[in-house]
Amino acid sequence: MNDSDRSQKLLDQWHKAAERGLRGKPLASLERETPEGIRLTPLYTETDLDGIDHMGVPPGITPYVRGPYPTMYAGRPWTIRQYAGFSTAEASNAFYKQALAAGGQGISVAFDLPTHRGYDSDHPRASGDVGMAGVAVDSVEDMKILFDGINLGNTSVSMTMNGAVLPILGGFVAAAEEQGVPQSELRGTIQNDILKEFMVRNTYIYPPAPSMRVVGDIIRHCSGEMPRFNTISISGYHLQEAGADAALELAYTIANGKAYVETALAGGLDVDAFAPRLSFFFGIGMNFMMEVAKLRAARLLWAEVMGTFSPKDPRSSLLRTHCQTSGWSLTSQLPYNNIVRTTIEAMAAVFGGTQSLHTNALDEAMALPSEFSAQIARHTQVILQEETDIPAIADPWAGSYAMESLTDQLAQQARKIMAEVDQAGGMVKAIETGLPMRRIETAAARKQARIDRGTDRIVGVNRFRPEEEEPPEVLRVDNSMVRENQQRRLAEIRASRDEAAVQGALKELTQAAKEARGNLLDLTIRAMRLRATVGETTAALEEVYGRHQEQARALGGVYGEMWKDDADWAALKETINDFARREGRRPRILLAKLGQDGHDRGVKVVAAAFADMGFDVDLGPLFQTPDEAAAQAVESDVHVVGASTLAGGHRTLAPELVQALKARGAEDIVVVVGGVVPKQDIPELLEKGVAAVFGPGTPAMESGRRVMELLGANRSG
Amino acid sequence: MKPIPPERYIDGVRQGDRRMIGKAITLLESRAARDRGLAQQVLDALTPHAGRGLRIAISGPPGVGKSTFVEVFGHHAIEQGHRVGVLAIDPSSRLSGGSILGDKLRMPRLSSHDDAFIRPSPAGEDLGGVARRTREAIVVLEAAGFDRILVETVGVGQSETVAAGMTDLFILLALPNAGDEIQGIKRGTMEFVHLLVVNKADGDQQQAAQQAAHTLEQALHLMHPPEPDWSVPVLTASAREDLGLEKIWQAVERFHGMMQASGRMAARRREQSLAWMWALVREGLEQRLREHPAVNLEQGLLERAVKAGRTAPAEAAERLLMLFSRPL
Repeated sequence: MNDSDRSQKLLDQWHKAAERGLRGKPLASLERETPEGIRLTPLYTETDLDGIDHMGVPPGITPYVRGPYPTMYAGRPWTIRQYAGFSTAEASNAFYKQALAAGGQGISVAFDLPTHRGYDSDHPRASGDVGMAGVAVDSVEDMKILFDGINLGNTSVSMTMNGAVLPILGGFVAAAEEQGVPQSELRGTIQNDILKEFMVRNTYIYPPAPSMRVVGDIIRHCSGEMPRFNTISISGYHLQEAGADAALELAYTIANGKAYVETALAGGLDVDAFAPRLSFFFGIGMNFMMEVAKLRAARLLWAEVMGTFSPKDPRSSLLRTHCQTSGWSLTSQLPYNNIVRTTIEAMAAVFGGTQSLHTNALDEAMALPSEFSAQIARHTQVILQEETDIPAIADPWAGSYAMESLTDQLAQQARKIMAEVDQAGGMVKAIETGLPMRRIETAAARKQARIDRGTDRIVGVNRFRPEEEEPPEVLRVDNSMVRENQQRRLAEIRASRDEAAVQGALKELTQAAKEARGNLLDLTIRAMRLRATVGETTAALEEVYGRHQEQARALGGVYGEMWKDDADWAALKETINDFARREGRRPRILLAKLGQDGHDRGVKVVAAAFADMGFDVDLGPLFQTPDEAAAQAVESDVHVVGASTLAGGHRTLAPELVQALKARGAEDIVVVVGGVVPKQDIPELLEKGVAAVFGPGTPAMESGRRVMELLGANRSG
Repeated sequence: MKPIPPERYIDGVRQGDRRMIGKAITLLESRAARDRGLAQQVLDALTPHAGRGLRIAISGPPGVGKSTFVEVFGHHAIEQGHRVGVLAIDPSSRLSGGSILGDKLRMPRLSSHDDAFIRPSPAGEDLGGVARRTREAIVVLEAAGFDRILVETVGVGQSETVAAGMTDLFILLALPNAGDEIQGIKRGTMEFVHLLVVNKADGDQQQAAQQAAHTLEQALHLMHPPEPDWSVPVLTASAREDLGLEKIWQAVERFHGMMQASGRMAARRREQSLAWMWALVREGLEQRLREHPAVNLEQGLLERAVKAGRTAPAEAAERLLMLFSRPL
């Protein structure tokens, strides 16, 4: 009996045994198709490896499937890098020092939303968001406080900044200089991935074309002056958080990377002069096997893409990545379960071969982490590094039939999506047509429907949902105090600086944009040294470039389609139809995104779901003030305003909305709030006139039902 | 909830109270039978105060940038001292469920301006209903002092004809890809276009836009102009970069002046009123037919008979019409 006969015989034996165990159900019933379009089967065998080219290539050798470095963590473990920012520069600074002392190996700065969008803290549009989702930075002075007592010559600093990249990177350079550290010694990463902002996160400032010029200028400046600094962190994380499946995340991230390379090449740089400083950032969710496969496939695809640019330096084709466990996968119900989720995700990132990792704190879905939760998150990684034998073996999943097959299939799926992007004329063009956004939003609406229906299971949300919930203590930010502090500091700076010199530097910036000459980062560094503010340098370019307005897209049908045959769904639709017959029109709801937070996946999914239920849904522009939302509600004469908030601004913004409606004689319009609202804030909101609060994980159908109840109560009187 | 008395609607709208303008449009949109009397009363009271402005239809294929155009064009109008009302005719009916109204997402500046009022209307089940609501909303906005009404529509089905039937001026937006574009514009549409704009003439598209404008101009020569003294201008613009809007505005003013001086404006509106009356008659007849008790009683029976092939369609129709016209 030869080998193949023997294995066939064993396989037949397995089939029989498996079918016996299933008592009549076919074996195929155990297979399932993932959102990526890959069939998971209970058994993978040697034949699943047929035709896979990367088999047998060790780590550190192109195409780097098994890792970018030959010995991986056995030689040096991944960097523990926790993203954090606490409202003020002082508080953040204290946190960084403490984290570095407690095992952190680099720091990662989270900025507040006005900073992201290039508004100073005293800008009227900034009011609800100053210091809420991260640290407010208005000038070099804030930067200096932020890094006080931290040696920027030997600490790697990662900054999540995409919109206001120029003043933030410029301010960082200027602050380091005043600390005595020259640009050339700075280590770290600036996210600077503007394409994904247009796709999902919306924290952009200028339109796509000038934004790409900014990216090009930063790459050019850094390849000359800051050789140890990573110029872009090409981010799939936010795509995953917005609902993209692994194939979409992979494909669009690699395609974005390709677009940046093309931009830099068009600017006249040699590929090896900048490509080694491009880094990546992936999100790691709960699909353990798929996520490990994703990181392996990402390296394979990047090596393929970079191969087409014929680099000479092997580091140009090597994908190095940061990873973060998924914030989306965290639940506000039974929050301690989040420790377990984060641990599983952290393991997937490590098995996938990440270079650095952020592990989420258990309360990160609701607020900035507390000291207690931040410590558990950090220690999760320390435990993986120091108490387990995982780091001792490079790419331990290599050779697994299932893992290698998944890696290969996922790469194939991603190549198809990338081909579609190429066909559209590259990523910038594709974004202009809205195609990638549509794909991601469709994936997101389907995912939400699967969760609401219980096909995708989440403990605490649609499985074992607790009746009484014990809210964990979450950190609360007193936004008004932070705002006043920042405003005072801004006034001091404006009073003490050389005004003529500042205005001159700003004018030069405007001029350089107008005439498409010079390097915008060089000029911004100069302005920041002179104490220009983040808002002023941003405005200087805005004069020429304008502010980008997102193109509306909303999709109907996707959510409802998944519910076609559900009795509760049909009953809710009937309630709504009854209302429409009685009132002469459908219930009409305005979904408003208040403040500077641009994450709009949630509100888009809700819009799709509500429209499918039978609501007429008005969408407001992003970044609305409460007053603008009230005006829109009145003009459209809606029954309800649903305010979406994710970044902690709800305590200021929602009551302002209630008041603004009242001022317009529209107190009969019902206000509900959805998004990330900690339990402890709910009584206050209800007291201030909000009719209902829908926390994270509320199924869309449940919110719809509750809104109809509120309308019924409102009408019957 | 207590019903609002008609005077509150009428006075509120006349005083420019945005809450009451919004509510008046809702009242006129209402499909509930109990609202009809009140709606008619309010409409009758407002009609004498309407009609002084210019009503402009803006159409074009999906992706041509209509909303962005409306946003920028509306701003120009405001800068000239006008007050702008924006309405939309969107008959894209959905199988079930409501609609998603994203117009304001694309008009962030206009939507927060005091001299603008934007009212997106949900997709209706039939074009007739949508047309009625839009026409009546024009009356409300004009009575409230808005003197430039922009009616946005999509080039689908009959919606352009409907929009042309309630406006003084029709602007068609085209994309800068000349060859396909001519074929994309329906011949019927060309007959009521007063102003043709090739939008998105920016960046590397400028040349293509010029070329498209040229081709369109030539094609227009072969057509009968919509007004005797008006040769249709073909302009290029980029709403996104606010280029060419000045020229468009001037053309609009020129058209407005010409139509007023020649008396064509008043004549056109009289024709529209007549056509509108007949449209209402048709709509009313259909509604009455649907609600007629005798017709209702036999309708199901006859439908089944026709479906089963037992009765000829013409015979069944005749029977229903006879029931309808017979005195009760």
